Amino acid sequence: MQYQTDNNSYDALVIGAGIAGGEAALNLANLGYKVLLIDKDLTIGGKMIMLSKVFPTLDCSACITTPKVSEISRHPNIKILTSTQASNITQKSDGTFMAEITTKPRYVEIEDCTGCQLCEEACPVIVKDQYQYDLVGRKAAYIPFSIASPRAAAIDIENCTLCGACERACPTNCIDFTQTDKKITIKCNTVILATGFQLFDPTLIPRYGFGRFKNVITSMQMERQLAPTRPFNTVLRPSDGKLPDNIAYVLCTGSRDKTLGNPICSQVCCMYSTKQAQLLMGALPMADITLYYLHIRAFGKGFNEFYAQAQSMGVEFVKGKVAKITEKENGNLILRYEDINGNVVKETEHDMVVLSVGILPNVGIQELFSGINLELDEFNYVKQTDVLASPAATSINGVFVAGTASAPMDIPDSILSAGAASAEAANYIRKMSEINVSV
Amino acid sequence: MAKINPDFKDELKKYGAFDFNACYNCGHCTAVCSLSTPEDSFPREMVRLSVLGLDENIQTSLKPWLCYYCGECSETCPRQAFPGELMMTLRRWLTAKYDWTGLSGLLYKSLSLSILFFVLLIAGVYYFAVSEQFNVEKIMHIGHYFEMFAIIGVFSIIILPNIIRMWYFTIVKSGYKIKFNTYIKKFGELIVHMFTQKRALGCDDNQIRWFEHLILVIGYLALLFTTVVLDWFGTDNDFIIVLGYVESALIFIVTFIFIFERSKKTTELSSHSHPSDWFFVIWLFLMGLSAFFVRIFIDTGLIHQNLWMYLFHLTVLVQWALIIVPFGKWTHFLYRSFAMYFDALKKTK
Repeated sequence: MQYQTDNNSYDALVIGAGIAGGEAALNLANLGYKVLLIDKDLTIGGKMIMLSKVFPTLDCSACITTPKVSEISRHPNIKILTSTQASNITQKSDGTFMAEITTKPRYVEIEDCTGCQLCEEACPVIVKDQYQYDLVGRKAAYIPFSIASPRAAAIDIENCTLCGACERACPTNCIDFTQTDKKITIKCNTVILATGFQLFDPTLIPRYGFGRFKNVITSMQMERQLAPTRPFNTVLRPSDGKLPDNIAYVLCTGSRDKTLGNPICSQVCCMYSTKQAQLLMGALPMADITLYYLHIRAFGKGFNEFYAQAQSMGVEFVKGKVAKITEKENGNLILRYEDINGNVVKETEHDMVVLSVGILPNVGIQELFSGINLELDEFNYVKQTDVLASPAATSINGVFVAGTASAPMDIPDSILSAGAASAEAANYIRKMSEINVSV
Repeated sequence: MAKINPDFKDELKKYGAFDFNACYNCGHCTAVCSLSTPEDSFPREMVRLSVLGLDENIQTSLKPWLCYYCGECSETCPRQAFPGELMMTLRRWLTAKYDWTGLSGLLYKSLSLSILFFVLLIAGVYYFAVSEQFNVEKIMHIGHYFEMFAIIGVFSIIILPNIIRMWYFTIVKSGYKIKFNTYIKKFGELIVHMFTQKRALGCDDNQIRWFEHLILVIGYLALLFTTVVLDWFGTDNDFIIVLGYVESALIFIVTFIFIFERSKKTTELSSHSHPSDWFFVIWLFLMGLSAFFVRIFIDTGLIHQNLWMYLFHLTVLVQWALIIVPFGKWTHFLYRSFAMYFDALKKTK
């Protein structure tokens, strides 16, 4: 194996450092390839690190992600750049790639930051915490969350008042307001797209009242309330901080709905809702949990048993799509749906509603490339040009796709997909080096 | 034992339905419907019955008539199966099923046959005018008698038997035994719904459309009364003359709005039009407009030189009375009111 000495030359560029990108980077790094792993976020770990537990095993999600994240960050063959995006990726005639890598200023020197949080204490600005999905607030100088990697502070310059309090409080003088965009051009043999997914925005269904009714939350907000790093240390409903005792789940929020432009199943909502229902039974033993569903899709290994387990625990499953939610004066919510088995329209009251939001493709992935066309499929995911024989292959030879960038899928499938992508990428790198050596 | 009609889906397509087979049975339409109640939940049940080909269950159901096509179900259907349009289609199909002559169904399913009937009636009116040697007084006199006999004839030969059939399907066949007293007690429901269509107010934000529709119904019934009983075209009474002008103007103004909405597809309701819907609004518009001008021609003395105006009006009227009223969309006026009446009867149990 020939190790490249050039700083800006890598075997693989992995875009997106969630569980799929991280896994692919780790596989390649363990094979001895030099990997540049970039993420547009302040931390690596993607969405999985935010989750409570995984289905159907109920293993702690953070406990699986954090060791992986620390392995990635300490791996000698992996270079990580956060707050970073790629652009102008071009392919040369020999099959290798050039890419422009832009790192947005964090205004903190990551290497010098000790994560002491004194800047957080000093900062006078409070805004909604996007890492807790707006359930609580954070400062404008902040560490994204306790298990973030790198666990270093960042300045939210959009909301910063430039008062300088953090700078004065910082014991290592790592805050630097003079930082600007850092641009480098790199050369790499292969590109892995692990750009992940975005969650459906439920304000697009005004009938559900998300954003207007305080006690209508998303499943990701509930996930945060159940996670080990949860904000309240228990499950509370937002309007008055009461412990909810009658929680409803509205499945297929934003999935399988042509009027919203997303006709396909998100693959995970049935199971994560079933999982949350089981966790809630533990967190709030007196609470009633009802899931309103169209069809329960329990197709994976152990899924149907998991579904049956929830039923036997007392989770109520009602067949019928919720059409309208109205709010009562006390903050309780009335759900209107048709009970399909009884053929009647019904209205039921719950004190908290969780919208099981679906998965949507991330936008702007085609624009990363210039001069080469990355094809998308009919649902705007990265097109797998040969699903059966080469599941990670895309329309560009040498660019591979991993995880939910190619389709909605759960965590085990994302990791499998990352494995396929890294194997195919390794294959490609081998071929490249053989060609280049023979030339 | 339920009998499945495998051809029912194709049959309904001819009446205008969309791809209701796309339905995945989630019940969103029923839950979003502001007219749906626990006692009468629709439209999903009707979609399901249509998909399964259980046409007998639909034939004995009043639910298609309880739907006023607010359109919310179609707008929000996750499968875009257009349940609102299916309900509309089922009303056409039911109209055909109630009709003992079977002509209704033929006309709904075949546009060319409808056009042929319209053309035949034009020829008939022309033949009649020729045989009367274009004598204005005589033609207008006979025209007036035609109106009276058409009303009596169409009602007793077509409409009354059809309503009795509707009663038989929805009450008798579906196993309800209702005391005679109840029929009397609930009779008010029929009158109220016939003259107010108040159920249509149940649709969200529907006040304007309800009002337009109410004006149209009242205007239409009043004009019918004014021309037939008060002999609008023959009278010298100023009050009756002005009354007729107002009524006919109301009709063509409101129908003009409806035609405009249908061509611009401004609402869910107006975005899918079957030929029978077009015939209904256009003929109503032409009738109001031509009646208005006939009376203007009479008042200005132009009618003797311009008999064509009256002949045009008469043609529209004859087509209306012999095609659209007995076999077309007009009957929804009665079936809807009777459905509310029958529904009230059923609920007394």
